[in-house]
Amino acid sequence: MTVTEFVDGPLWYFALAVFFLGIAWRLVVILANGWRGDLSRPRRSGLTGSVRALFSRFAPAPGIGRRIGLHLTGGYLFHLGLFALLLFAAPHVAFYAERLSLPAWQPMPHWAFVLVSELAFIGLMLLWLNRVLNPVTRLISSTGDHLSSILTFLVMLSGCLALEQAHEPLRVLHFFLVEVLMIYFPFSSLMHAFTFVLSREALGYRYGRRGVPV
Amino acid sequence: MRHWWVWVWLCLGATLFPPVHAAGPSTDKVLNPGAELWNEVRGRQAAPATTQVQGRDSQVLVNEWGEHFRDYRRQRFVRYSGYLLAGVVSLLLLYHLLHGGLEVTESGRKVLRFELTERIVHWLLAGVFLLLTVTGVVLAFGRFVVLPWSGPEVFAVIASASKEGHNLFGPLFIVALLWFFVLFVGRNLPRLVDIYWLIRAGGMLGGGHPAAGFFNGGEKIWFWILTIGGLAVSTSGVVLDFPALVEGRNPLVLALVVHGIAAVVLIAASFGHMYLGTLGVKGSLEGMKSGLVDEAWAHAHHVLWYEELNRKAQAESSAREQGQ
Amino acid sequence: MAVDMNVFRGFLQQVRQLPAMAQPTECPDTERVAAVKAVFKERIDAGVASHLEACVHCGICAEACHFFVQTGDPQFTPIHKLEPLRRFYRREKGPFAWLYRLIERDIEETDLEQWQRLVYDSCTECGRCSFACPQGVDIAHMVVIMRRALANAGLIPAGLRAVEQEQGSQGTVFGVGPKQLMAAVEALRVRGYEVPVDKDKADVLVLTATTDILLFHDAMESTVRIMNHLGVDWTIHTCAFEGANFGMLSGYEKVQKAASERIIREAIRCGAKVVIIPECGHAYPAMRWEGANEHGEPLPFEVMAISEFIGRQVMDGKLSLKPIGKGRRVTYHDPCKVGRHGGVFDEPRAVLDALGVERVELPDNREMNYCCGGGAGLFVIDTAERYRALAFDLKRKQVEATGAQSLITACDSCRLSFLAGTDRTQWDRPIESLVELVGQALPD
Ligand code: HEM
Ligand code: SF4
Ligand code: SF4
Repeated sequence: MTVTEFVDGPLWYFALAVFFLGIAWRLVVILANGWRGDLSRPRRSGLTGSVRALFSRFAPAPGIGRRIGLHLTGGYLFHLGLFALLLFAAPHVAFYAERLSLPAWQPMPHWAFVLVSELAFIGLMLLWLNRVLNPVTRLISSTGDHLSSILTFLVMLSGCLALEQAHEPLRVLHFFLVEVLMIYFPFSSLMHAFTFVLSREALGYRYGRRGVPV
Repeated sequence: MRHWWVWVWLCLGATLFPPVHAAGPSTDKVLNPGAELWNEVRGRQAAPATTQVQGRDSQVLVNEWGEHFRDYRRQRFVRYSGYLLAGVVSLLLLYHLLHGGLEVTESGRKVLRFELTERIVHWLLAGVFLLLTVTGVVLAFGRFVVLPWSGPEVFAVIASASKEGHNLFGPLFIVALLWFFVLFVGRNLPRLVDIYWLIRAGGMLGGGHPAAGFFNGGEKIWFWILTIGGLAVSTSGVVLDFPALVEGRNPLVLALVVHGIAAVVLIAASFGHMYLGTLGVKGSLEGMKSGLVDEAWAHAHHVLWYEELNRKAQAESSAREQGQ
Repeated sequence: MAVDMNVFRGFLQQVRQLPAMAQPTECPDTERVAAVKAVFKERIDAGVASHLEACVHCGICAEACHFFVQTGDPQFTPIHKLEPLRRFYRREKGPFAWLYRLIERDIEETDLEQWQRLVYDSCTECGRCSFACPQGVDIAHMVVIMRRALANAGLIPAGLRAVEQEQGSQGTVFGVGPKQLMAAVEALRVRGYEVPVDKDKADVLVLTATTDILLFHDAMESTVRIMNHLGVDWTIHTCAFEGANFGMLSGYEKVQKAASERIIREAIRCGAKVVIIPECGHAYPAMRWEGANEHGEPLPFEVMAISEFIGRQVMDGKLSLKPIGKGRRVTYHDPCKVGRHGGVFDEPRAVLDALGVERVELPDNREMNYCCGGGAGLFVIDTAERYRALAFDLKRKQVEATGAQSLITACDSCRLSFLAGTDRTQWDRPIESLVELVGQALPD
């Protein structure tokens, strides 16, 4: 079996399995802790609070925005860029159609791809530089956090290097890194892409009951 | 001749870097029988050729500057850039071996030199610069440095990746450079002390540290090399990325020449900067990492800034006392 | 009407003496880590697990915490205050515990001492960080767990421990018991007010707080006058009058439960429909949100902060006030425990508007208001004095930016902290209590 065959075949299925089973396992274990109920008389509906919190936290809290301009810029550029690339880059759309048998949808034009990746790169670099240069994040970050950022960076970089789509090894390298990321994902802080829902819900419910606008 | 300035550049290059095989076969004795035809093809003596193909430069049969450019690109540019970069590295090495890095005894008290944003933008610029350097070197010198080692298949892959990477990170460099410029230009305006500092070569010739403000003369020169060189690589880079922005081939040739020379100058200068920022002057790197430098370091290398800091701190504390 | 500053300074002195009065705790050094872990284990539910899992270590929470904002010291990063909890979760409870046990260090005894300083001296459980976190991590909620764990390991700071022990063993706070209460009541009766004490049945059970009895006499007087003016059927109880709950502040659950239970029992016995909490910040969540959980079943009465109670009367048109504040520009400081943790924002503002003042908001207000710096028992932790001062300086700057002539609040802790700051910096703006102002504005 050649490297290409391995990356395209067994490793891909392994990565898929680890990714989905890992995520499911992690979420199940979190939820299995159960909820300590709250017997106090609610002022308002906790449910409304949790729905609100799910969305309100996408915007900075009042008065905090001006202190976290860098986080906001970096965070939004990176995440929006990442999702746009993930969903609408032409090679990705083709991949989903071919390998996952999804119906193909309209990909973004090449110029948009380039623009979006530029923005995503700036965003990720700002976030990671902040992580290493800001005394606060330097104190609280773990090796795993750095690995998450670096791995994501490498995946994006290898994807862009393969942009000419003329060289098989570059595609395989990109795909390999994606698989590494998928295997790493459920074990790492990248899981925040799922856990943020639970966390915001819990907060929103708690303060929603108290009638505090979350 | 609309693009005479391309010639000026190429000639300038030719005088600075004389052709490597100057002793080619002599042509002035025997007249080539095909000379007339070739002269016509090249459009030297005749009106431009006509064709029904619509397109820029489509009436040009042979690019009359092609050979010159090839000679410049393959022989002079690559060779002399190599000399320049190797020369700078050797000089730095020599200096370090003979002289060693500068060091001051630490006081243990720290002062803030660079704000978080300043540090982030610095490393953003530096990171993008390094990525561009690596990919750019592969593109410019790869044929000579990488290809012989890697063989054509692997080189094709590396070259393709480098091209895409270089194109991708180019625009990021412009963003980072502009941001950096805005943050730092105020502290890099030339002052009289800088001239004095430069005459004394920053104390490298002995006689202790000459006084300097927040940035010394040497740092300011690096800043302006970076700004001007960065502007040159950026504009020429944009032209190369979007050839449709210009008319015809000549501006592209010019852009390529400017891009290469400016990039090599920047890389050479960045070697000096990186040396001084790490081994050359101990304690500098810390300032760009944590933002904090030792007071003794500040006093030794930037005494005017250090005094200003103290004045400010005093003014603040007395204001606070009065306020209460 | 103002507080007698000499009495206040005496009170401060008394606070500084507290550590000397603390008794040593029973927990032997070798069992501390286990004691901490036991609480962690019990308290981690899906909510806490989600919070711990969702944190991306972005550091945004630091930008919300007054202690970080004022010092820039990364030690004060809110999420960092939970490091032992996070470590326990990862190693012993999380989905990949087997993995993390290999790569992550266990909690050690020396860690506990370091985190004692972080969760007691430099955290007021104000919750501002919880509201800034993009991931919805409720840090303040988990600081409470940290305190409970450290309390279980006998690591409550001496000053706070002294008060907790006093309330736990004697039921008094700063030596204030039924006798002192009755003295205060008598003083009011002498001045002609009717004060119903220990009534058998009453619709409303009114609590008070040590600080009101010792220092803020006018607050108690105003409360009495307001109740009488409204004509409600109310009472104070000599065996259940203290709202303050140092069990909750210190994290020592046994004392918290006992203190809450006393009030709950009495309220049920006299058939109260409403229990009114004085202007004592933490007393509000202690009864309003935690009371039922400590009690084990829903409470058959409503719990209201006095500011909330008055506000509702005003909003419902049942209480009209004299516009005594005409022409005065004031700003209102939302006590964290009543505002951000309690949802009481509009009621006090309605009261201020009824007083006719020109009400201006602080640059950060309502659920994003900055903490006074003295909440969650910090006021009785001598080693936290430095941090309280930092928080005050921030508040002072914000108040001055509004141009307000005075700072109004509805919490004794906030008031104490502000008074200490005012005294230290010779600040010229008065600190006022909402309930006292209302007392002055009651129609004749
Ligand atoms: C909708 C779901 C997501 C939300 C709400 C979310 C939220 C966040 C937030 C708040 C941060 C911190 C930014 C800062 O430092 O200020 C962050 C960082 C990060 N996110 Fe996400 N994220 C999501 C999905 C993802 C996904 C799918 C990935 C996939 C790779 C990802 C990768 C990262 C990385 C690598 C960082 C760290 C950057 C760094 O600080 O070095 N995120 N995310
Ligand atoms: S703001 Fe929230 S996600 Fe960010 S470090 Fe703090 S707790 Fe973690
Ligand atoms: S609860 Fe308040 S004091 Fe404690 S960490 Fe959060 S913001 Fe800081």
